[in-house]
Amino acid sequence: MMKAKRVDPFFWVAIFSTVTVVLFILFPLIEMITQPTFNDLAETVKDRDVLRSIWLSIYSSGIAALISFLVGTPFAYLLARKEFRGKKLVESIIDLPIMIPHPVIGIAILGLAGRDHWLGQAMQSIGIQIMGTVTGIVTVLTFVGLPFYVNTVKTGFESIPVRLENVSRSLGASLTGTFLRVTFPLAWRSMIVGIILCCARAISEFGAVVIVAYHPMIAPVMIYERFTAYGLAYSQPVAVWLILVCLVLFLLLRIFSLPKEHKA
Amino acid sequence: MKKFENYIKWIFVFFLGLAVLFPFSIGAEPQGKLIIFHAGSLTVPFAKMEKFLEGKYPKLDILRTPGGSTKMARMISELHKPADIMGSADYKIIDKTLIPQYADWNIRFAANQLVLCYTDKSRFAEEVNAENWYKILARKGVVWGHSDPNLDPCGYRSLMVLQLAEKHYKAPGLYDQLIANRPKENVRAKSVDLVALLETGNMDYAWEYLSVAVQHGLKYVVLPDEINLGSYKYDDFYKQAEVKVTGKKPGTWMTRQGQSCTYGITIIKNAPNLEAAVAFMGYLMDPNGGLQVLKDMGQPPFIPCRVSSEAVKAKLPLPIQKWVEVKN
Repeated sequence: MMKAKRVDPFFWVAIFSTVTVVLFILFPLIEMITQPTFNDLAETVKDRDVLRSIWLSIYSSGIAALISFLVGTPFAYLLARKEFRGKKLVESIIDLPIMIPHPVIGIAILGLAGRDHWLGQAMQSIGIQIMGTVTGIVTVLTFVGLPFYVNTVKTGFESIPVRLENVSRSLGASLTGTFLRVTFPLAWRSMIVGIILCCARAISEFGAVVIVAYHPMIAPVMIYERFTAYGLAYSQPVAVWLILVCLVLFLLLRIFSLPKEHKA
Repeated sequence: MKKFENYIKWIFVFFLGLAVLFPFSIGAEPQGKLIIFHAGSLTVPFAKMEKFLEGKYPKLDILRTPGGSTKMARMISELHKPADIMGSADYKIIDKTLIPQYADWNIRFAANQLVLCYTDKSRFAEEVNAENWYKILARKGVVWGHSDPNLDPCGYRSLMVLQLAEKHYKAPGLYDQLIANRPKENVRAKSVDLVALLETGNMDYAWEYLSVAVQHGLKYVVLPDEINLGSYKYDDFYKQAEVKVTGKKPGTWMTRQGQSCTYGITIIKNAPNLEAAVAFMGYLMDPNGGLQVLKDMGQPPFIPCRVSSEAVKAKLPLPIQKWVEVKN
């Protein structure tokens, strides 16, 4: 048993890269989190504007994720299961919001909502406002978050053997029944992960939102406003609270979606 | 032999001439890095001037840093950042922050003013003018906005115009009435952000500097000098406008008082590249050079540029003294 274990050099490479990546992410964040004093943090959390903006961020990102879940799930299923002409094109279109510069997204959405566009006219006639409203914020956040949901869930569906669905269908279950009773129970974890990613992307969005809505302020906009008006000392505590709240939320979701008997 | 002596004489004259001209030929060619700090609203015209001068003097490299004028002046006075030239959107900042320690003089070279911008598609675009704009802004359904007074001088200046309008048009209560018709959602961080809202048809009217309106090709209403913050002759009237903006930390406030948008510029004492700085100033203050560029871009220049006294004029570098007049 005393024989020296031969360790593959790849092991050390992996250790090295792990440490590098973790430090790379944590170092700036720790630097920022440790800047404000407890006093600053306590003072900030008493500020109603700050609380309102953090809540608005979470709430609007949540709605964006919910919309992504409702419209994205059947779409992701289709992409995972069916081959059709132009599928590659559709998949590329899904990725577009990830690549487009954020302000461009904001301007594009405002362009549709304007009075000289038929869609804008139609929306305004039934009382839907995009500029400076929560509706506008949710629209933007859904736009940027949707690709993350669809791509994640698509991969989730692809990992489920088609065989299981075929068995269900051959036993007489409808497509809907098969989806709800066979596919969904097997894929819901990937949906949770998709929702987390979509939410995370949405919460971090700034560039597109600030064009569509400066007021009401989501947390990233407020952090920018605080930074410009008062400097770093007053924007950091807001950022720290946002990070903490998000960390807790995402941690809960991860724990909740973790398989109980994970032994793979 | 006579001929040979003649040759010697001419060669001597030639070299003498060279020796005399040589230092000038070095002096005439500005080179190296020229660091300019300037107001954000000067970005477009200064970029054009940079391009021209760098084309003319290939060895010259102009490094511009645009930013809020107060902040830029503080970078010189508090952080001691090296700079050759400081161009400020408010000439008083140079007087207050830089003179006497970091600068000796201050030249007023351009003005700006607040205008009410709109597009063809704006509601009541056909009828808006300098007489009725404030009535239109008070109408229900008209969407208008300004930038955040806490972040952008254009924001508090817009509010000052409204206050002055109340006095000028003798319409008591006008300010409150107008603000009541401007939901918070119509306020944006920077005035330039409002341009996108106008162009996409989400907003009808927005307050901007004249230069921004011209540079973006917007339609605009020119307001009377008494209220447009464009002429320092009316500084005493402008002073009546007061806007409360946020102070140094959340929950604290300070008051901004109305004054004209007059641009000032100076060369910083001990400028690292004085020669190039003088060359830039010479071009900027030339009515056919920089002042024309400013004019084309909607920033009304002072032709000639102005200094406050003969004493100040005497302090200017010689080559640019001819471009100024003493005028208050």
